[in-house]
Amino acid sequence: MDQVSGPAVEAAGLVKTYRSGKSTVEAVRGVDLRVDAGEVFGFLGPNGAGKSTTVRMLTTLLSITAGSVRVAGIDVAAHPDAVRRRIGVALQEAGLDNRQTGRELLVLQGRLFDLSAGEAGERAQELLELVELTEAADRSIKGYSGGMKRRLDLASALVHRPEVLFLDEPTTGLDPASRLTVWDEVRRINESGTTVFLTTQYLEEADQLCDRLAIIDAGLIVREGTPSDLKAELSDRLELDREATLDDVFLDATGRSRERVAGEVKEVSA
Amino acid sequence: MTYALVLGRRALREGIRTPEVIVPALFIPLFFLVVNVGQAARIFPGSTTAFLHGQGYGAFQLPSSMLLAASFGSAALFLVEEIEGGYFDKLRATPVSRAAIVLGRLLAEGVKSLLIASVIVLLGLAFGITIASGVLGFFLLILLTAGWAIVYSGFMQIVALKTRSAAATNSAGLVFFPLLFLTPNFVPRNLLTRPMEIAATINPVTYVMEGMRSLVLERFHWETIGLGFLVVAVAGVIMLALSVRVINSYD
Repeated sequence: MDQVSGPAVEAAGLVKTYRSGKSTVEAVRGVDLRVDAGEVFGFLGPNGAGKSTTVRMLTTLLSITAGSVRVAGIDVAAHPDAVRRRIGVALQEAGLDNRQTGRELLVLQGRLFDLSAGEAGERAQELLELVELTEAADRSIKGYSGGMKRRLDLASALVHRPEVLFLDEPTTGLDPASRLTVWDEVRRINESGTTVFLTTQYLEEADQLCDRLAIIDAGLIVREGTPSDLKAELSDRLELDREATLDDVFLDATGRSRERVAGEVKEVSA
Repeated sequence: MTYALVLGRRALREGIRTPEVIVPALFIPLFFLVVNVGQAARIFPGSTTAFLHGQGYGAFQLPSSMLLAASFGSAALFLVEEIEGGYFDKLRATPVSRAAIVLGRLLAEGVKSLLIASVIVLLGLAFGITIASGVLGFFLLILLTAGWAIVYSGFMQIVALKTRSAAATNSAGLVFFPLLFLTPNFVPRNLLTRPMEIAATINPVTYVMEGMRSLVLERFHWETIGLGFLVVAVAGVIMLALSVRVINSYD
């Protein structure tokens, strides 16, 4: 895999507005981001903060109202196909074709990334082994469990050996064991040199996996740094008599109380 | 084109794995064929009705049933399912041309229509209908039907991409019924009342139907057949261009 030279993701003044009747909704209001090559970067925020909208712009799935984005060094708006060749995308809901088998889905994905039929078959087998789905490979995806679907989705995002992998809430709805399996996969993928851009609502997940993270609220980045730096900064600023947690950082950054975010931010122990 | 073929093969697999979608596309047009022939065959006996060219009324009705079958395409509903399930975004995140994503399903719809049209014609042959234009005419007949299936599926795909709603897409499918009945469906155009004749003349489906009917009832009447193919070609290009435009601006 070719390593990205320079930042893997660089966004400046990123804006997305939607028209809703006569009014305009600003979903993202000027996001600046920099993700270095080889990082696992966490992107957190409450529901409706603009996380998914930002990810969809970074992955060419949504038009950009204003600002600029370069992914793997390439301008997303100017050369979307070139960006698509360098990124892998696993979105919020495992986007799979339930009428295919796991193997067929991976082979198709390979063919769409210009692998020959033989190469696509070999790559599919490699990935099925990687995500431990060889036994279910020739069964219809419809019968897969939630965890199996997530792992297959992850595998399909890796078919073309992307430089940057975007994972939008990859563990939402999974049981703790499946969540741990996905975490292991993310670590393994990152160790092989792939930059990972991960959105999550699970603060512990961000704490466990991410080298750096950013918190978005109401369409703006309100915190950015390593988890340990963000926690230390909060402990110092509030003169806490205990070490701050990422939950504290999140609540402080978004100006919310625990009561207010109940039902919005899930804390998990996996 | 390679991408469209790869995606088309996938859509065909999908069709094979959901026979419950194909069965109505075959059964309902055959049902209408039987009912329409049962109701009107005695009014238009083959021996004394000039526009039947010596055949029974079933031969006259066959193209209507084939067009109806070709308008049962399921591509758009599968597309809505994919949009709702997220797989459509997965496809959009690949470097495949947007046109190939649209074209893949349309190609599969064309192949499915070739098979369904063949079955309908073969059943018609078993019940005494003959294809006056012979083997070549048979192939042109199913080709024209498949062409119409692609056009209509293209229209439905546009609705699916714009609305992203199964209900809206399903409702749009009903548009075909007025188009089918504003044609020389039961009698030739010159026997229609004046308002119906005007409506049929401006309805492009009329020319496809007349082209098909010409292949069944007459030998090669190239002007009529050519007009049918021309309508399908022009409508196909328009539908494809609109589909590509819609998918290119899809957010």
